[in-house]
Parts: sequence; structure tokens; C-alpha cells
Amino acid sequence: MTSRAAALVLGLVVAHLLLRVALGLGNEAPDLFLLAVLLGSRHLTPRSGAVLGFAVGLLEDAFSVSSFGATIFALTMLGAAGAQSRYFFVGKSMPFLVSYLALGKWLRDLLSWLVSDPATRRAFGDYLLFESPLLALYTSVVGTVIALLVLKGSGRA
Amino acid sequence: MAGLSGSGNEGSRSQLLGAVGVVLLSLVTVYLPSAPQQAIAHVVRQSVLMPFTELHAFLAGMRARARDFDILRAQMDSAMGFVAAHATLAEENRQLREILLLGQRQSVRYLPTSIMRTGTSGTGSVFRVAAGTGQGVGPFNAVVTDHGLLGQVQQVQTDYALAIDWSHPEFRVSAMTSDGENHGIIEPVRGRFREQDRLVLSGVDFLAELEPGTEVLTSGRGGAFPRGVRIGWVAGVSETLAGWSRSYYVTPSVYPGAVTHAAITLPVATDSVDSVTPEAPADPGAQGPP
Repeated sequence: MTSRAAALVLGLVVAHLLLRVALGLGNEAPDLFLLAVLLGSRHLTPRSGAVLGFAVGLLEDAFSVSSFGATIFALTMLGAAGAQSRYFFVGKSMPFLVSYLALGKWLRDLLSWLVSDPATRRAFGDYLLFESPLLALYTSVVGTVIALLVLKGSGRA
Repeated sequence: MAGLSGSGNEGSRSQLLGAVGVVLLSLVTVYLPSAPQQAIAHVVRQSVLMPFTELHAFLAGMRARARDFDILRAQMDSAMGFVAAHATLAEENRQLREILLLGQRQSVRYLPTSIMRTGTSGTGSVFRVAAGTGQGVGPFNAVVTDHGLLGQVQQVQTDYALAIDWSHPEFRVSAMTSDGENHGIIEPVRGRFREQDRLVLSGVDFLAELEPGTEVLTSGRGGAFPRGVRIGWVAGVSETLAGWSRSYYVTPSVYPGAVTHAAITLPVATDSVDSVTPEAPADPGAQGPP
């Protein structure tokens, strides 16, 4: 991982904590933890990507009462998959980056929904077919702008 | 596989096995018993996340201090007027209870505290209160505001606790109408969007027809919630089981997202000295209910 990519991951994690924990913003703030995992894992091996996802997921789940571990699992899977994806997609193009981040966000919501407590999770259709795609679009736009600004010239998104 | 630092099949296999191992470990965290999960989460909250929770508390305190002084003064005047008008009520109530050979009501004391909500995923109906076992808070204590019932404490640590508000799917409270005639169970019903979440009073007698606007209070059954805390008002019929019972939608008296300060109800023994000792706020900036 380049120093620029490492700084990006750290910056996204801190910014997410500032927005969502310190300021208490909800979905108004983009899912910067997810962007940290998706963008950071592209510069890591699958094992390190999974570890990054695990660590970030642990921070996210620290305040969860009834579905502890759901985000840890989702981000670990995405960290490993994101690192593996670099062997198949070089990922310098804008269409790839947008679809990679949007699909990553939707998969993150799907994976955490699958392993979360059935008694407390929301209806599949409303959450994963309506709300989640909108959030995925929002996250991918923000992530693409950040990646283009910070990782320009690094060779990988 | 190109791109790995230790290129070759051995390196890639080792990487994949390592990744699978971490994924399996993450699955283990999902299915751990509640106690280890709480312990892990507590360590994270008290280490990495501590500066951010402290910053949140600081900002909440600043916002509270910036509130309009005139509004707070008006609220205090209203409370003083209420107390003055009901000064003799407690004594009359005691005498009537003696005449009717009724026992004393369970005493409750209020512990003012500040509320913190994070925007992290999976915490939509969860909030943190700045008081824990050190201040006498225990699991299942009620959290109330001056408008009514907010939620219930779930996980308690030494100096803070995690609680759920009424919109959490696991929230339940036994309820009654303000005249004490009709009883039932209040539970949340999720809307398609979080803004559409509302409460339903179920199990009400079929023959009892509640008018919209009827006030609904906690009944105190089960002992988790003190009796007489406002929950909301009947909004309309939700469901009718012919000949058996009716369910009603209830408009909540408290909207959780707007609450920054609340009070935790702590049951005390009737003859305890605590019942006459004023409680120090857990948070200096906290404002309790009247």
C-alpha cells in the first residue's frame, strides 16, 4: 500500500467517526468506512484487505445492541473481495470505479442484512431494493470524487 | 496470480487461506454469546472511539448551553406553578390510601442524563446515556423525558449505558388509558421508512372503543416501567379481532431523534432515605424532567 493510499484510508476512517459519532449524522453522511475498505483493499493482498475490513467493521459495530458482528462480517468479505478484484480489473476507468463502489455498497448492505437478527432487520424490499440502491449511488459518487482527487496517478482506484 | 508480493501458487494460496480465516473469524463474532460481544464492543468504545464520544458530549453540552434562556425560564415557571398547585395532593393521597387500606406506591427517583446518538449502521434505535452502574442504573430501567416515555436501558457499564428507544423492534411496554379502564401492550410497528414508525396498542378489550386522542400511559405491570408515564395518544383503530380484542395506533408523545437530555427512572424502596435525597445530575449540562 502506498503512503498516499494509507493516508486516504486513515483520513476516511477519522472523517467517518467525526461525522457519524462526534456529530451524530446518519445517512446524510456518506459511508466513508465502506469507501476506506473498498479503496484501501485495492492496494492490499486479500488477507490484509480482510483484516482491514474486520478492523473497520469492529469500529462500526461497537454501538450495535442487537446485531453485533453483522457489519464486521460484511466489511471483512468486501475487504477480501476488493483486494482479490485487482487481479481481474485494473480499475483506472471511471465506469469501473463508479460501479465498483456502488456494487460494493449494495453488497455491504445485503451481507449485513443476511446475518443480522431477523427480529430487528428491516423488510428486504424496502431496504435492499429501494433505500440501499439510492445510498449506493450516493456513496459511489462521493467515493469516485475522493478517489480521483486523492489517488490520481497511483495507477489503481 | 499477478500482483502478489510473494508471487506463485504458494503465496496466493496462503493469502486466500488467510482471508478465509479472517472471514470465518468475522462470522464467529456474529454468533458469539451476548456477554463476549458486549465486552468486545465496550473495549472498542472506551479506547478508539472514546475521543469521538467525548467530542460528541462536548458539542451536545455547548448546544444545550446555547439554548434560549427565556424558554428555560418559562419551563421552570410552569413547573413551579404545577408543584405549588399540587402541594397538598401528596398528603391527601396518603390519607386516602390509609382509609382504603392500600399500600404505598412504589417510589421512583429520576436521574438526569444526556443522550448521545451515533449515526453508525445498526444503531438507528439505540442511544447512549451518560450514566451507568456507578449512578445506580440497571438493565431495563425506563428512560423518560418531560413529554413522556423515550425507551429502556439495555446494556449497562460503569459510567454509561446503551438503551433502546420505542422504535426498536424489541421494545414492549404494558399500557393503559389514563382512566385506568383499558389495558394492553404497546409495541412498535415499522413503517416503510423510519419516519413512518409508530406504536400500536394491542390486546384492548373488544367492547372498549377508544376515541382518538385518548391518552395512553404506562400501567406499571411487570415492574420494568413506573406507572403513569405518558406514552402517547390513540390515533385510530389498527386491527380488530372479531369478538376478541382491538388494536389501536398510538401517536407517540416523544420523538426520539429530537431528544438530547432525559432522565432514567430508578426504583427505590419506599422507606429508603434515597427517596427524599435530591439526585445529583450525571451530566452537569443535563436537564431532567419536572
